[in-house]
Amino acid sequence: MSSIISLKHLYKEYQLGDGSVFTALRDINLDIHEGEFSAIVGPSGSGKSTLMHMIGLLDKPSRGEIIINSRDVSTIDDNQTSTLRNSYVGFVFQQFNLLNKLTVQENILLPATYSRRNLDFDPIARSEMLMEKFGIISKKDSYPNRISGGQQQRVAVARALIMKPQLILADEPTGNLDHKTGNEIIDLFEELNKSEGITLIMVTHERELAERTRRQIRVLDGEVISDKKK
Amino acid sequence: MKLQGVSTLFTSSFADFKRDKVRTALTSLGIMIGVLSVVLLIALGLGLKNYIQNQFESLGANLVMILPGSGFSGGRGPAGLAGGAEFDEKDVRSVEKVPNIKYVVPVYIHSSVITTADKEISGSIMGANEEIFSLINIDVQTGELWKKTDVEKKAKVAVLGNTLAQDLYGNPSDALGKTIRVGGMRIKVIGIANKIGNQERDGAAFIPYTTTFGSMNPKKTFFAIYLGIADKESVTTVKSEVEKTLLKRYDKDRFSVTEQSEILSTVDQIFGILNIFLVAIGSISLMVGGIGIMNIMYATVTERTREVGIRRALGATTRDILLQFLTESTMLSLFGGIVGLIVAWIIVLIVRNWFPVALNLFAVILAIGVSSGIGIFFGVFPAKKAADLSPMEAIRYE
Ligand SMILES: Nc1ncnc2c1ncn2[C@@H]1O[C@H](COP(=O)(O)OP(=O)(O)O)[C@@H](O)[C@H]1O
Ligand SMILES: [Mg+2]
Repeated sequence: MSSIISLKHLYKEYQLGDGSVFTALRDINLDIHEGEFSAIVGPSGSGKSTLMHMIGLLDKPSRGEIIINSRDVSTIDDNQTSTLRNSYVGFVFQQFNLLNKLTVQENILLPATYSRRNLDFDPIARSEMLMEKFGIISKKDSYPNRISGGQQQRVAVARALIMKPQLILADEPTGNLDHKTGNEIIDLFEELNKSEGITLIMVTHERELAERTRRQIRVLDGEVISDKKK
Repeated sequence: MKLQGVSTLFTSSFADFKRDKVRTALTSLGIMIGVLSVVLLIALGLGLKNYIQNQFESLGANLVMILPGSGFSGGRGPAGLAGGAEFDEKDVRSVEKVPNIKYVVPVYIHSSVITTADKEISGSIMGANEEIFSLINIDVQTGELWKKTDVEKKAKVAVLGNTLAQDLYGNPSDALGKTIRVGGMRIKVIGIANKIGNQERDGAAFIPYTTTFGSMNPKKTFFAIYLGIADKESVTTVKSEVEKTLLKRYDKDRFSVTEQSEILSTVDQIFGILNIFLVAIGSISLMVGGIGIMNIMYATVTERTREVGIRRALGATTRDILLQFLTESTMLSLFGGIVGLIVAWIIVLIVRNWFPVALNLFAVILAIGVSSGIGIFFGVFPAKKAADLSPMEAIRYE
């Protein structure tokens, strides 16, 4: 299996107010392979989100390399980073992070409005297909603050998938959902991974959810302390 | 298929306005009030200036006025008129000896109650000789002007200003042949003047100055003596000759000999200062509007920063973000500015019926420019700050 993303000796340091430096990630070396469904686990504050943001190019590392499709992307400019965020990765956040002033469908289509290449599919048709598949087609013209948390997270997953990304990153996607609804979202991920071969990385601190993935990357105090594959 | 484009920018701005009605309304309102107040204040200043200039310009060219006190030229403004000389027929005769003067017109002005058979209004009586009509270009609409012989005979005849005739009789020409009463004197209306657009003149009753000699003007004095100079070139010499003549009788500071153009330039100066005041007041309301806009923009900065973070996470470049916020705040500002301008314009059109207010291009450009500048700056500046954060920092911003 080829790796779609590699992190090499990656560090993330924060300059604190008192002048000291806090190391949130220390010497991370990680390879993510195509088609994998992995979980990043660890206690709160251990650096899971920070690691996910590095993989998804939402923040810049202090040192080290990020290699995506054999290309070092830790030093590319804003335009190129935006293009990668737009087409290579899809995000699902714990807080959903939908825009309340756009309708469900407009939210799902938002990444397509920022595409800088000609798409080989019709985004509107695809958004409808995704809404149909996730059971939210009836909420098409609703605003996110008028639908349930489970429905909002489905909208977020549809938005993450609209650009046919290689990789889906989900940071505690069930953190704001009840047990049953959370499980349904994970079912959805499993199904996307199995039937469409989408690569998924999910941050969670729930053992039960992590057990359902095939690889568990354990983080503690900014370091990867174990990496188990089934 | 490519969705990003100009039309998307507009559509997404409209979507924002629709969802953020309060913010949209308040921002536009701030700009609207700024533009409205600046444009109206300057229109008012211009109107006042036009009004006063009209009053003087309709007096006619090559006009020299002998006024009591230090007059307009002393730099003390109209207040200088007080405590000056009271001119009489002797002054008129001595001034008449100065060469190159075409008309010498003694002017007596008196405000008084004018009574008709069924009406009573206050108006102004202007006593003069027959040359007044040529000097200030008055002709009759109906009837005739009184003549030199009427002045000699102390004839009780009047030519009514058009507005006065209309106020007294409804239809100006109905005044012809009627008798009006002024302080116990019965005066026959023999002519109605054309409308000349000068409120003072249109509202006056012109009678021979000799007719005022009596209970109305027992001292037989004049407020002023107007001179019509034969040609422009001799204005300066005539002025100094007249001054010399009058100095034989009066102290230097009890009278003044003033050219109309001097008065106009004094008016210009006064209004130059007034306009600076008006612009200053207008700037304050622009600032108030601007602060309002700023507050609204800052009240939503957390939410907007998170929005920027989310959009950046989904692939928007810094440029996309700036363009979006620029489009949005430009549309808001222009909308507010144009509405403000239209309201100002309507008000100006209405007020114009009574007062010569005028829209001024400079004021319009200043008002729209400054308020849109504020609107756009405070729309784009927080977005620029948000776009400079990493998407993750922006999303977590609070
Ligand atoms: N901007 C920041 N400045 C300073 N410290 C930060 C910042 N962001 C995160 N951290 C710290 O980095 C550590 C890792 O945070 P995070 O990745 O969010 O943890 P997790 O997702 O595992 O709970 C925490 O101790 C957190 O306080
Ligand atoms: Mg976290």
